[in-house]
Amino acid sequence: MTVGDFEDKNKQRWAEYERLLEGMEKGRPGPLAGQLPRRFRELCVDLSLVESRMYGERLTGQLNAWVIRGYELLYERRRAGWEKLAEFVVVGFPRTLRREWRLFGLCNAVFWLPFFAVMLSANHDVQWVQAILGADGMASMDQMYGGREDQIAHLRDQYGSNFMMFCHYIRNNVGIDFRTFAGGMAAGLGTLFFLMFNGIYMGAAAGYVNHAGNPEAFWSFVSGHSPYELLGMVVAGMAGMRLGLALLRPGRLPRVRALAEAAKQALPLIFGAALLTTLAAVVEGFWSARLLPSGLKYGVGIAGWILLLAYFGLAGRRGGDAA
Amino acid sequence: MNTAADKLDTLQAVELAEGVVIRLRVAGPILRAGAYALDMLIRVGVLLVASLCLGWLGIAVGERLVGGVLMLAWFLMEWFYPVIFEAGKRGATPGKRILGLRVVQASGSPISLGQAVLRNFLRWIDGMPFFTYGFGMASCLSTRHFQRLGDLAAGTVVIYERAPVMPILPVAPAMAALPLPVGLSADETRALVSFRERADLWPAARREEIADQAGLLSGASGAAGVSRLLAMADWVREKRPVAGGGGHARHVRKKEDGR
Repeated sequence: MTVGDFEDKNKQRWAEYERLLEGMEKGRPGPLAGQLPRRFRELCVDLSLVESRMYGERLTGQLNAWVIRGYELLYERRRAGWEKLAEFVVVGFPRTLRREWRLFGLCNAVFWLPFFAVMLSANHDVQWVQAILGADGMASMDQMYGGREDQIAHLRDQYGSNFMMFCHYIRNNVGIDFRTFAGGMAAGLGTLFFLMFNGIYMGAAAGYVNHAGNPEAFWSFVSGHSPYELLGMVVAGMAGMRLGLALLRPGRLPRVRALAEAAKQALPLIFGAALLTTLAAVVEGFWSARLLPSGLKYGVGIAGWILLLAYFGLAGRRGGDAA
Repeated sequence: MNTAADKLDTLQAVELAEGVVIRLRVAGPILRAGAYALDMLIRVGVLLVASLCLGWLGIAVGERLVGGVLMLAWFLMEWFYPVIFEAGKRGATPGKRILGLRVVQASGSPISLGQAVLRNFLRWIDGMPFFTYGFGMASCLSTRHFQRLGDLAAGTVVIYERAPVMPILPVAPAMAALPLPVGLSADETRALVSFRERADLWPAARREEIADQAGLLSGASGAAGVSRLLAMADWVREKRPVAGGGGHARHVRKKEDGR
């Protein structure tokens, strides 16, 4: 059979297949959509024949393109819906955290140890903290937490301020999470750097306010959103360390494969970090700066910590837990 | 299989579950940098237009509110613009679509939301050091399928959506079809057929120069060699017995298995 004969014989069938493809690509499946799998397999056979009979580049290229288009249609994924998200929040995310408890501990240590070390150092020698914050840092801490408790609330007097600050926190803090994650690609060094840097800087801020500012203004402001923001960052760090450890210790897999596997495991962590940090931005934007009794704000903060840790430890345990 | 041709060729062969081999043309870093630049222009343009419009609106509803909306838009543009487009139906950002590119899994199938998130959130490390895209470029150049670090982690490749068509200018041989004197391997036969298909791209002298490389097969040199080769290619396409094509099929198989 010559090329021409082969083409003539199949021309009709190929045209029908292409019409089917075009319809489905435009989102109008039509009544013949059910035929796609069969027709796709026929095209696969045609392509194999053309390849092995060496009918030339023109026909091979054409059939190759048709097979690719059919393949993409057939193997398109169903988009995840709201149920999937709810299931992730209730079951998937806390389970992943429990499975990765070692990383959870590591990343918490990398953040909290420098935090407390620097904060407490202010009690003995405030120069360390001053050196870390620098003149600008100290000036802005003074502006926010230098005087009475209602100072921050006054900064938010203008209409829309809360919303603007909420958007600012989203952009800034979620961005930091994602960068912390990406830093894991540098064998985990980037992740460790960001976690430690944030620990040191926040510790310095807290230490400075304790020493020279109004601690109540500071602690009552940060207490509300602290659990979600800080643990969100730690979880982003866990995702980064997953990647970093896969590169450092790939086990029996080649490094690239180990990286791809680790990335799959890191995915729920990065989604979870984004959710936690968004929640933190909501609280920080609309609650933390309110002019309310400090006791109430501390209470909400402590309740937040307890609830969040309980969620991490207990949610989704029913129905089999890998941890 | 790691032959020289495999390293040079940007055609990536992928075997599907259906048993057929499709060929994806992988896109190189220069074209992808172009797509990135286009996307950057689009993003900056959208943000500029949005800030102008919102600036007017801000007089009515308060500048803080508008400032917040702008910051949110900036955040979404920065991190989720590529994710949303690449996880979508087309598998490509507008910039990639303009240049005819598409992101797929290494197996050729469309990518998932998770993969789009991974490859784009890791873009930051590809952009290092100092936003020069040094890491991404180094990774692209040292992997066979031009994958940057984000692609490696997500298991994705960037391909041409529609492979550019190779020019085909066959020359009719000056003589009747000539059977092959010896059995050829699949790759050799393919080379012979492509020689016929592209013969008219070259001037006669160049054609003869190429044909002389296969002088052993044609048993002649110069113009005679050219027409004998073309006649053999004709025979392969038109007259070769394919009923017992097991031999050829086996060659093809072996090639895939060795991959």
